[in-house]
Amino acid sequence: MLFNSYIFIFGFLPVTLGGFYVLGSRRREWALLWLAAASLLFYAWWRPLNVLLIAPSILINYGISRFLERNAQPRPGLARVALVAGIVFNLCFLGYFKYLTFGEQALNDLFGTSFILTQVVLPLGISFITFQKIAFLLDVHAGRVTHFTFREYALFVLFFPQLIAGPIVHYREMMPQFKAVSCRFDAENMSVGLTLFFFGLAKKLILADPLSSMVGTPYDQAASGVPPTIINAWIAALGFTLQIYFDFSGYCDMALGLARFFGIKLPVNFNSPLKARSIIDFWSRWHVTLTRFLTAYLYVPMTLAMTRRRMASGKPIRSARDMGASAFITVLAMPTILTMLVSGVWHGAGYTFLLWGLLHGVLLCINHAWRLIRPRIWRNTASYNRRVAPIAFLLTFISVVFAMAMFRAPSVGTAVVLWKGMIGGYGATLPQAILSRLGPIAGWLQALGVQPAWTSGSLLLTATARILVLLFIALALPNTLELLAAYEPAIGIKPAKAPGFLLGLTVWQPNRAWAVGLAGIALAGVLSLGGLHEFIYWQF
Amino acid sequence: MPEQERLATLTRILRDLLGDDTIELTMRTTRQDVPDWDSFCYVNFIVAVEAEFRIKFRIADIESFSTVGTIVKAIDTEQTR
Repeated sequence: MLFNSYIFIFGFLPVTLGGFYVLGSRRREWALLWLAAASLLFYAWWRPLNVLLIAPSILINYGISRFLERNAQPRPGLARVALVAGIVFNLCFLGYFKYLTFGEQALNDLFGTSFILTQVVLPLGISFITFQKIAFLLDVHAGRVTHFTFREYALFVLFFPQLIAGPIVHYREMMPQFKAVSCRFDAENMSVGLTLFFFGLAKKLILADPLSSMVGTPYDQAASGVPPTIINAWIAALGFTLQIYFDFSGYCDMALGLARFFGIKLPVNFNSPLKARSIIDFWSRWHVTLTRFLTAYLYVPMTLAMTRRRMASGKPIRSARDMGASAFITVLAMPTILTMLVSGVWHGAGYTFLLWGLLHGVLLCINHAWRLIRPRIWRNTASYNRRVAPIAFLLTFISVVFAMAMFRAPSVGTAVVLWKGMIGGYGATLPQAILSRLGPIAGWLQALGVQPAWTSGSLLLTATARILVLLFIALALPNTLELLAAYEPAIGIKPAKAPGFLLGLTVWQPNRAWAVGLAGIALAGVLSLGGLHEFIYWQF
Repeated sequence: MPEQERLATLTRILRDLLGDDTIELTMRTTRQDVPDWDSFCYVNFIVAVEAEFRIKFRIADIESFSTVGTIVKAIDTEQTR
């Protein structure tokens, strides 16, 4: 059931929430049980078969975590074996559904074998669910989670606001909330939840979805061999960046809002990533909980092992200034690139995702290398950050947009064609209708090599205007977390000490002006329902 | 060793790593408070602290240090272990 469907908004949600409040006024346990059952129904809605696939995995994970809980202290060796077995089980489960076809194809490509590609139907949200379960096993093993019942575990695994596409949550940040939540109607939770939910719905339906046809055409054309001219290539790349931006931002807002209806706060997952001033900064703002997961369970252990080994062999890294090339490769580049490759294939089984991950890995390495070299050239960090900010932002933005073309393209070849178009490899054209209205400027443009084309001028203008408006929203306006900061919209969010001028004007308050504005946004969102575009992140 | 001395040592290590002599750590400092203190630098910092105090943190602890203060306390625990 999509968050942006009639059945969800007018059927499932009111019934689930109503039942939750009614049962909650009698006994909290009933309300929580009801919530878990409703979540299961939510998951089963598309294909009831999905439940049969996911239920055994839940049960097996529960069994292993119980075993870990009991044996972590008295028998650490045995617990370690169980932990590894549990992780391997989860990875195999994911691997079968997600990577079998790609694995066969890759083998065929590499060795000329001719495996027949198996078509497996991907259970919804499997990548998210799997990562969350692995995190849970690791937490139980490390003693960060103790004393849990099956009911609590099931609620944690199934909680529908974050079930399909995250945020990837930790048991230790969710369960204390479930234990404390009143399970009754609360005006503040309801109004904050509604604000988040309808902001998200509007972002998805009004800002993101209309881009999909505008973006689809140039990608399809590039795939079928029509080379894109510079303007079309940029419209395609920028358009998709903004589409996935508002699609995922909308999803994250809706997830936060839905959880808040039940009195639960989810962690921050999306925090104006296009405002980032470095690639490292970008990854601390885009899909924050995935970055958190990969950093904690993959990147840090690898880097830690490498760094400790260097330290033990008498080659300590006392300071950034004396880090040599070999240290850079073993301690930094290898773990970073490996982590980003995993992030890439986690998004999708295909060469484009792998290369997208590799690209971000390399970008992160360049970013880190610069952080090591820069203090030697420019001592004063504060003045550097101030002066270089615009350039840093622009470089980051362009890198992200180029990489997104690889993420979206149906094949690596198509992405390369698009990149070539973006740097002007296939020339530049402007619609004749526009050129003829430019007067003397048209002459200069043609002297620069801009060719007239018999394409629609109004389409180009609408596309450009749309992109500019969306860029303004993404880059200049405060985000929902900032607007609602006084009401802790996500775990740990606090109001800024010195809010900017725009934020000061627009900060959320439970007053009449906001109620009217929000009603308008909600109405616009609901009237746009019916297209039923899936969230991009639901396919991962 | 008193708290202040440990803080001074941690401050020196981080200054060396980031090449920034204006850094001043307190018990309440978090990683977000220090510009450029990213995951990579954090791991380097942790290993340098381990070498300095001749201890070894558990990996689960490293992830859950929320403030510099929790690191200072963990050094105590590890040294008395």
